[in-house]
Amino acid sequence: MKKIIFVLLGLAVLALSVPAFAHFQMLYTPEIALEKGGQLNFKIVWTHPFADEHTMEMTTPTAFYVLSQRGEGKVKKKDLKDKLKPITWTGKANSARAYEASVKVRSMGDHVFCFVPGPYYDKHEEAWMQQITKTIVNVGGIPGNWAEPAGLETEIVPLDKPYALWTGNVFRGIVLSEGKPVSNCDIEVEYINHDALMDKNAFAKSNYVEPPQDAFITMTIKANVNGEFSFGIPRAGWWGFAALGVGPEKEYKGEKFNADAVIWIKAVDMK
Amino acid sequence: MRKQLLVIGLLVFGIFLAGQALAHTPLCSCYDNGDGTITCEGGFSDGSSAAGVEMRLLDGNGKVLIKGKMDEDSEFTCKKPDGPYKIQFDAGPGHLVEVDGKDIVE
Repeated sequence: MKKIIFVLLGLAVLALSVPAFAHFQMLYTPEIALEKGGQLNFKIVWTHPFADEHTMEMTTPTAFYVLSQRGEGKVKKKDLKDKLKPITWTGKANSARAYEASVKVRSMGDHVFCFVPGPYYDKHEEAWMQQITKTIVNVGGIPGNWAEPAGLETEIVPLDKPYALWTGNVFRGIVLSEGKPVSNCDIEVEYINHDALMDKNAFAKSNYVEPPQDAFITMTIKANVNGEFSFGIPRAGWWGFAALGVGPEKEYKGEKFNADAVIWIKAVDMK
Repeated sequence: MRKQLLVIGLLVFGIFLAGQALAHTPLCSCYDNGDGTITCEGGFSDGSSAAGVEMRLLDGNGKVLIKGKMDEDSEFTCKKPDGPYKIQFDAGPGHLVEVDGKDIVE
């Protein structure tokens, strides 16, 4: 009987403490430093990458496109919205609507994938939210537009190539809103702490690492007065950076609205 | 005074020369367009343009079938030959990239 009470109490505490933060819009494809072009499979999931305690239901996406450039060539924009297919993604606790896309990428150079989800109503915050997300893929090692703003209403512009990072490198970026740096903003940093099983549309049940304390689950850092931030990468894999509430729009359907700018990076061990 | 100016001048010239010797690997990647033509993209690892670089299409015996140049977008398109072939991207000594026809797919 005591055991049941403890379990129920534990669950109640968990239910009450579901973080309103730590939400991350994943725009995930397994390899982003490619030798040759090919078919890229994306899984686009609205979730908590580190603890995976809850997967959120995605609404119909607003935009999905790629800006590609090789060397000094022209930037080419390709709309990819029609490639999006709804799927069900399964996390540790639940399953929810997510999306996938299969995109053919042939040219060498940088491919800046931009994803704008549909607004999501967060009951705990009593506000709408939207994470405008970038994942940058490189083919063949020729650089292109990785360091150029994509022209999104809010975005993180990297100062280090997000696809060419060794574990231990420092990743730096600038947070922009309407093209201008956002001073001293809060940025959440979170690690994808499980295998993303592409064939099963699910996260693996086991974690790579255990956090010593809650402050390690969603790490919060601050940009400096110039909107720049830096982060030393301690482990190989995927890291997401979300600058909170930096978008210019503050209202949606008469209620509070927060647009975050998100960028994904991948670090590789030096062997 | 003149000697100092000469030394400074040489140093500046030296820095200018060093700037030209960037780490600069040639890169070339080709694909089959599926319409009887193939397209090659060229470039360098520092992103600089490959416009004007000489391109050669050779048959299985090493005979040059087509000679051309990368266009202003650093691209080169030509008819896909029957049988085995090779593409050469020739940006000068030590800057030659060869692509085997059998690796050129859609």
